Amino acid sequence: MALRLLLVASVMNPLLSMALRNVLRNRRRTLITLAAVTIGVAAVGTIRGVLNGLQQSIVRGSIEGTLGAIQVHRTGYLANVLSTPLSLDFEADEALLGKVRSVKGVKAIAPRIQFAGSLTLSATEGNDAPEALFFGALAVDPLLEPKVCPQRSTFFTDGTVLDDTHVVLGDALAAAFGAKNGAEAILLAPDRDGSLNGELAFVGGAMRAIMPGEMKIAVVPLSLAQRLLRMDGRVTELAIAVDDLTQVVAIAEQLRVVLGPAYEVHTWEELAPERKTIMGIQNGVSAVVSGVFMMLMLLGVANTMLMSVLERTREVGTMMAVGLTRGSVLWLFLLEALVLGAMGAGGGFLLMSVITLGLASKGIHFTPPSATMAIEVIPFLTPGFTVVVLFIAMGGAVLFALYPAFRASRLRPVQALAGR
Amino acid sequence: MALISLKGITKSYQLGRTSVPALRGVELDVEAGEFTVVMGPSGSGKTTLLNIIGLLDRADAGSFKLDGEELAGRDFNDMAALRNRKIGFIFQSFNLIPVLDVRENIEFPCLLRKEDRTALRKRVELLAEEVGLTSVLKHRPDELSGGQRQRVAIARALVTQPEIVLADEPTANLDSGTSEQILQLMERLNASRGVTFLFSTHDPRIMKRARRVVLMADGKLVDGTAAAKAEVQGVSGLDHS
Ligand SMILES: Nc1ncnc2c1ncn2[C@@H]1O[C@H](COP(=O)(O)OP(=O)(O)OP(=O)(O)O)[C@@H](O)[C@H]1O
Ligand SMILES: [Mg+2]
Repeated sequence: MALRLLLVASVMNPLLSMALRNVLRNRRRTLITLAAVTIGVAAVGTIRGVLNGLQQSIVRGSIEGTLGAIQVHRTGYLANVLSTPLSLDFEADEALLGKVRSVKGVKAIAPRIQFAGSLTLSATEGNDAPEALFFGALAVDPLLEPKVCPQRSTFFTDGTVLDDTHVVLGDALAAAFGAKNGAEAILLAPDRDGSLNGELAFVGGAMRAIMPGEMKIAVVPLSLAQRLLRMDGRVTELAIAVDDLTQVVAIAEQLRVVLGPAYEVHTWEELAPERKTIMGIQNGVSAVVSGVFMMLMLLGVANTMLMSVLERTREVGTMMAVGLTRGSVLWLFLLEALVLGAMGAGGGFLLMSVITLGLASKGIHFTPPSATMAIEVIPFLTPGFTVVVLFIAMGGAVLFALYPAFRASRLRPVQALAGR
Repeated sequence: MALISLKGITKSYQLGRTSVPALRGVELDVEAGEFTVVMGPSGSGKTTLLNIIGLLDRADAGSFKLDGEELAGRDFNDMAALRNRKIGFIFQSFNLIPVLDVRENIEFPCLLRKEDRTALRKRVELLAEEVGLTSVLKHRPDELSGGQRQRVAIARALVTQPEIVLADEPTANLDSGTSEQILQLMERLNASRGVTFLFSTHDPRIMKRARRVVLMADGKLVDGTAAAKAEVQGVSGLDHS
């Protein structure tokens, strides 16, 4: 497309037409330079595309695996979650849920309770007197939770059941007990007043830790937790899914208005600020690497332009003799660089599209270091970034041709005519 | 009033720390419509002189008037504009622009002028016919013979309708038959269009055809056609012995 545009423009502008022909003059050198620009642009685009996919998969994993896009708590909950995890609870009644649902863009709501307790399994072979182990639990509604965190169940081992009577144990916990599916489990937990209660449940399966360090965790059904904690109808958290993630800040703002000061509303970014930091570092590193790539390819353009100026000294002399101004000579070489840059950018765009689409059609599957399971990365490019890269390739080519073009424009006609 | 008037033109080149004098006080008047040849041995300063008249280079001192206008000491952009408007160049090695075809090469000096395209096309076609290039207008320079290339250069020099055409050894790269044709062409153009030609050459045959011969030796001119012719013949006579 860039080339088509150039061809059209070159009919109008004789200098551009000359520039185009000059670029095609030394085919081999032009091809080498174009290859450099094409590969550079494609590499930069592909790196970004893969990173986009990786970050999207990390963000999705966070939002759809654990956090939800937005969380609602009683005001002060997050600040005091260690000291008073249950005191700041609230009634998850229709009045409240209706208010949340009234906000445009809210897709689904999942009520939750986070609490701590201990767990004992009935005796098994080789472990006839299991001790009680402490664990951190997340109580979820087995039907509503998948609407907000559909990826949560991907961490469950095959055959796992999570319903009103089954709990899912973190694999460390499950391994510690040697727990088999269907085994009886006794959950003990202090309620908000401090009295200890117990409930009987069954092991529904195991799940991999989502984050490293999540050793002793379990997902338990909300109704069971509410009985155990004597919090009938009450929860500590609403996790919310939204229709459009790009609108999450506005939706959170709207929720704050609707719910008033008694509740605090946080977006996933506010809940996991370290994600943002990590992505910032990734972006920084990729920007530096891309910058180096671009720099190298643009130095190639500069070198080509310099050679071109040097071997066409006499021609420049002739053009000046018949009255071409210094400005026009400058333009001629800058236009040549622009043509090179545009052709390279066009090639790079094609190549990066092919690579990114190719990778996206298969998906990249890998296990990041310190992660517990493989993630699928679907690379993709955003129009904004693509335009910026193509612009830098073309603009940079012109910028890096400034010195050679300036040199050409400062040649003295007599000396240039003599080839000096 | 002479079209070109040079007075006391000096020029030296700096070679390291030594200064090489190329012109030592050149006095020359050229009338409009003249067909003048500058002759002289190698190193006598012919190219240097033509460069100064062509506004490609500046004299160190002296006065250079074109059409009564003092041009010594103009700045680069002025010189470029004046070159484009008033001067046509024909070079020894043709100096065509390889990426342009014949028509574009001829048009090139008018490229950046705000000029009616159809009028320019017409003018180029007429010129091409006059110099015998009509059949090769779409060809690139590397598809042409030496003589054809020099014809393109002549047409390019004339397309701007300059006051003077400067040709530094225009036949040096051509065989004698082609040289002859090129010379005849320039004579014809001189006669039909009244274009003023000033050239430099080593070639005694050219000198014989010139209406005016200026002899250069050691950076100075010996004017007077008869005297010059005699002297050159003497020199060339010596050369032949
Ligand atoms: N760029 C330069 N630097 C140094 N000296 C130069 C330069 N150009 C010319 N000269 C010297 O100036 C003198 C005149 O040179 P010029 O080229 O004008 O002579 P010419 O008559 O054109 O010679 P030729 O017939 O060989 O073309 C010579 O001595 C030459 O060596
Ligand atoms: Mg010379």
